[in-house]
Amino acid sequence: MNYIDSVVYLISSLTAISAFYIQGQEFIVSMIRGQSVQSLLIAVLAFIIAWEERSIDFFILGALIIVLRAFLVNYFLQKRIPKQKSYIYEGRVSLSYLFLVDLIFIVISVFILYSIAFSGIVLHSFLENSGNSSVLVFPITLFFQGLFLIASRRTTFTQIIGYVEEENSLVLFAMFLLPIPIIIETSVFLDVLALVVISSIVVLEKFTHEPVEELRG
Amino acid sequence: MIAGNLLAILILLIPGFAGIFYRSRIKEMSVAAAAIDLGLSVIMYYMRPQTGFFFVQNITVLFIVMVLSVYLLSTVYSTRYLKGTENMGIREPTYYLLLNLFTISMIFSLEVNNYGFMWVGIEATTISSALLLITEKTETSLEATWRYIIIVSAGVTFAFISIILIYYSLGTLSVSVAIAMHPHSKIMVLAVSLALIGFGTKVGVFPVHTWLPDAHSEAPSPVSAMFSGVLLPTALYVLYEVYEIEPIRQLYVWFAVISIVAASIFIGYQTRYKRMFAYSTMENMNLALLGLAAGGLLGITGALLLLISHSFGKAGAFYSSGNVLRFTGKKNIADLSGLGTSMPYTSASMLMSSLAVTGAPPFGTFFGEFLILSDVLSLHMYAQFIIVIIFLATAFISVNYNVTGMLFNGKGPRNEKDKLMSAVSVISAVMPLFIGIFYLVVYIEVL
Repeated sequence: MNYIDSVVYLISSLTAISAFYIQGQEFIVSMIRGQSVQSLLIAVLAFIIAWEERSIDFFILGALIIVLRAFLVNYFLQKRIPKQKSYIYEGRVSLSYLFLVDLIFIVISVFILYSIAFSGIVLHSFLENSGNSSVLVFPITLFFQGLFLIASRRTTFTQIIGYVEEENSLVLFAMFLLPIPIIIETSVFLDVLALVVISSIVVLEKFTHEPVEELRG
Repeated sequence: MIAGNLLAILILLIPGFAGIFYRSRIKEMSVAAAAIDLGLSVIMYYMRPQTGFFFVQNITVLFIVMVLSVYLLSTVYSTRYLKGTENMGIREPTYYLLLNLFTISMIFSLEVNNYGFMWVGIEATTISSALLLITEKTETSLEATWRYIIIVSAGVTFAFISIILIYYSLGTLSVSVAIAMHPHSKIMVLAVSLALIGFGTKVGVFPVHTWLPDAHSEAPSPVSAMFSGVLLPTALYVLYEVYEIEPIRQLYVWFAVISIVAASIFIGYQTRYKRMFAYSTMENMNLALLGLAAGGLLGITGALLLLISHSFGKAGAFYSSGNVLRFTGKKNIADLSGLGTSMPYTSASMLMSSLAVTGAPPFGTFFGEFLILSDVLSLHMYAQFIIVIIFLATAFISVNYNVTGMLFNGKGPRNEKDKLMSAVSVISAVMPLFIGIFYLVVYIEVL
């Protein structure tokens, strides 16, 4: 493994660690900031690939990640957090229990999906050892972390962060596998932004999501 | 070819053009845009763009006509329906603007010759339609909106993995090229399987269907009609385009069968009529998926016949439900009786639509179901055939028992306050009957 490969693996593992950090938070602001850091890490990866590949597409991608996800999404979400104490802190969550379930869920799902489907995939050529697809474990971990965050939490903000985390994993996945057309990537970013804006309109009215009798069955 | 491309662009632009009149007359302009667009879509049959940015096949034209017909009916219906809405979550011009954008995103998903843009189009349908759900703002509709946004968006991310894998495997996202290539690989099997979860979320495949009853039951009736009648078929069209690359028949057939079973069971214990019709949509979409996955000429013809008849039938069911809700204010089946005398036109449309969506002869849906099941039998899928027959019968009994109960138990004073709303629901409900008779005549002529 050469120097660049090591850096790519290191940053990728940091994105997965940032997902665990978000999962372990009770304060919504900390989660939003965690998501920003995660997006920044992915942007750094895009810049490294841009440098290695001499590709302007990856450079634009990195810039888009920083502007749209690391800053704009962060800004929209932080601006919408109500001032009441009950909304800035997700108090009714048993974090140690959730963390344990999360770990079991991630290990099993990543192991199954990776070993069945992705273990034989040949990666994008920028990695020296491109036959080894083990780096795909990180985006898959991130994807399932996002899903778990949506499923396990009750506030609108945490579920939005879970969704953004899922989309981050897709970008990471696409970057490793091969560059998909930049226009599609751009659309995905705008999609995330639009959803966050729409969600924030709903947030104005409804902060938590408990089962509703009329929507059962 | 250039004329075809221009026509495709024009059909996309016209509903957006109505948005220019946001400050005044957007309502009238939306109706006009829908009518003009419907006319253009019929012309499109004769000048279909089939290479380049757009890829419009015969089947695509059918879907576009279907989308624009229900769009026209819904805009006309909305002009009266919204008048009685209390506590509107969005302003009336915003409602029409979003309805137009919602239609544009569906047409875009159908016309475009690129799996990536199809995905973008399907996501755009979520973005444009989410706020339509809070037109009648209540605590429940807000919760339903949120569930719709988060469940569909999270589900459709699976479809994006599928798109990435298609590009990885084929080096292109062009629909026409990918279908012509017919590649066979483990990666493509994975891509098509993930598409079933991803786009299947929007189609209403079990167990990723959970947004469907919430959104359909809490949306205003014209929007429910568009969700049920055309949004789900649009997602099914996209799913089918992915399926065509590498048909994994057994997986798709079994998911469709299990979904039909689940939908029929859910229909059985519903206490609210709109929610009951929502589960009926899930059942019909999965029946169409079964026909498309079976893949024979009978199955595909049956699925198309079922989808077009169902789009009008279900729109009729939701317009009738809208009339009942608007004129009585009641949502529960048990609270309603004597509608046959109090609302005769609405009752007629509700009865016809419920018969249509449950596949009673001679509605078009019946012939569609018949052809699909014939195809399933011809493939020797006996277990699937028997399971589907049993649960179709269960759904038929459940829906029609509830509807006839609301219509024929007791009597009530005349309460049908708006003739246009009743007329739209009757027109929608009659269409599946017309399609069924038309198909029968053509069938007899051909044979």
